[in-house]
Amino acid sequence: MKRIDFRDQIARNKRKSVFLMFSVFVVLVLLGYVISLAFSPEYFFFIMVIAIIFSIGYILISFYNSHKIAIASVGATKAYKDDYKQYHNLVEGLTLASGLPKPKLYVMHSQQINAFASGRNPEHAVVCVTEGALEKLDKNELEGVLAHELGHIASYDMRYMTLVAVMVGMIAIISQIFLRSLWFSGGRGNDKSKAIFMLIGIILAILAPIVVYLVQMSISRKREFVADASAVKFTRYPDGLIRALKKIKADYVPAEKKVSKAVAPLFISNPFGKLSNTHPSIDSRIKMLEKM
Amino acid sequence: MLLIFWILIILGIILLFVFFGYYNRFAILGNRIDNSLAQINVQLKRRADLIPNLVESVKGYMKHEKSAIKAVTDARKALVGAHGIEQKVEANRQLESALKTIFAIAEGYPDLKANTNFIELQRELTATEDKIAYARQFYNDSILTYNNLCKTFPGIFFANLYGKRERQYLQIAESEKKKVDVKF
Repeated sequence: MKRIDFRDQIARNKRKSVFLMFSVFVVLVLLGYVISLAFSPEYFFFIMVIAIIFSIGYILISFYNSHKIAIASVGATKAYKDDYKQYHNLVEGLTLASGLPKPKLYVMHSQQINAFASGRNPEHAVVCVTEGALEKLDKNELEGVLAHELGHIASYDMRYMTLVAVMVGMIAIISQIFLRSLWFSGGRGNDKSKAIFMLIGIILAILAPIVVYLVQMSISRKREFVADASAVKFTRYPDGLIRALKKIKADYVPAEKKVSKAVAPLFISNPFGKLSNTHPSIDSRIKMLEKM
Repeated sequence: MLLIFWILIILGIILLFVFFGYYNRFAILGNRIDNSLAQINVQLKRRADLIPNLVESVKGYMKHEKSAIKAVTDARKALVGAHGIEQKVEANRQLESALKTIFAIAEGYPDLKANTNFIELQRELTATEDKIAYARQFYNDSILTYNNLCKTFPGIFFANLYGKRERQYLQIAESEKKKVDVKF
């Protein structure tokens, strides 16, 4: 088996996270710029200062709380050791196999078979699985899924992925609000320049969700294969994960409504059905695993 | 002249950092090996600590299985008294086979099988066995990383410089993972 050296991957993920935070900062300030010019040029300076303070605050808060936001956005609750012995035991075994600290464990109340990991570093990591996964997967299968999540943690994937989900996801929401407010304030001031800035504002707002989509697509695909490979490195037992993936594929549960679309790429398989392209196809992942 | 001087200074600093970097790398990887060894010991101790409870809960039911119970207590004693990781892991293997006998016998005692305390202990013992297997795997992984650094260039140069030698793997019954999978 090819050995995985996490160091390059960790460095890459950290670099990407910094770049992402910087881009978010630039986009937010730019958004502030457009808003101030479009609505009230007389307060330009004031709005820009607010925008800069807001973006820095926003980035810091989402960096330090990204895992909490992710957990809250799917409505997961803490998995206590007394209630979820096997879950805890399996994760403890895997932390021994991987040398990672034990993440905080959560359970999500859904009948889908799914799981995700989040957090800014292994010391502040969380792992969350659905009740469906705990019920429908046997010990080896569940272990495979958990090992996959720990793989994301070990490679710092979850830092980058959660930041993208939370920060960019939020941009989508904010620009949506911006777009909506434009409909109501269309009457005032008919300057040509105002119209142009409004147009830019609209374009930006339309672009935001597309950017989300593109970024999310660029996150998952390769990472899922790498996390699968590290899962095998930890468990030395590809069959567990293979069988889990097969079960996920065969198990039909309607798309998750409570979950925000922005966090979809965090999951081991897309909670919104198999047709969306945030994840590589389960078949191709199984094929890769069978080669190991 | 001055330029050459500065270039030499900068090269010297870079070289120093490389030397420090490799020193730290060896130290970190060495610590990882020691730490994973400690983890194996923690799990072995946890296992040994569970045995008296198991014997206690089994005793009342298995009146005629004295020898099987004695085998478990003896194996535990050997584990507690063992020195060095190889001996300990070997003692644990003995314990594991003694436990398997106990659990097989327990199949014939429906009351015992329904005892929540017994079920709980059985689950815990299986879990610690899994954890031991994982801790050993990580121990060997850590040694592999360390030895790779010792053996490949330029690590080999620094290994000689700092007097670091390759470490020994833990080589005992590799099929253990399969054995754990026994269904009771």
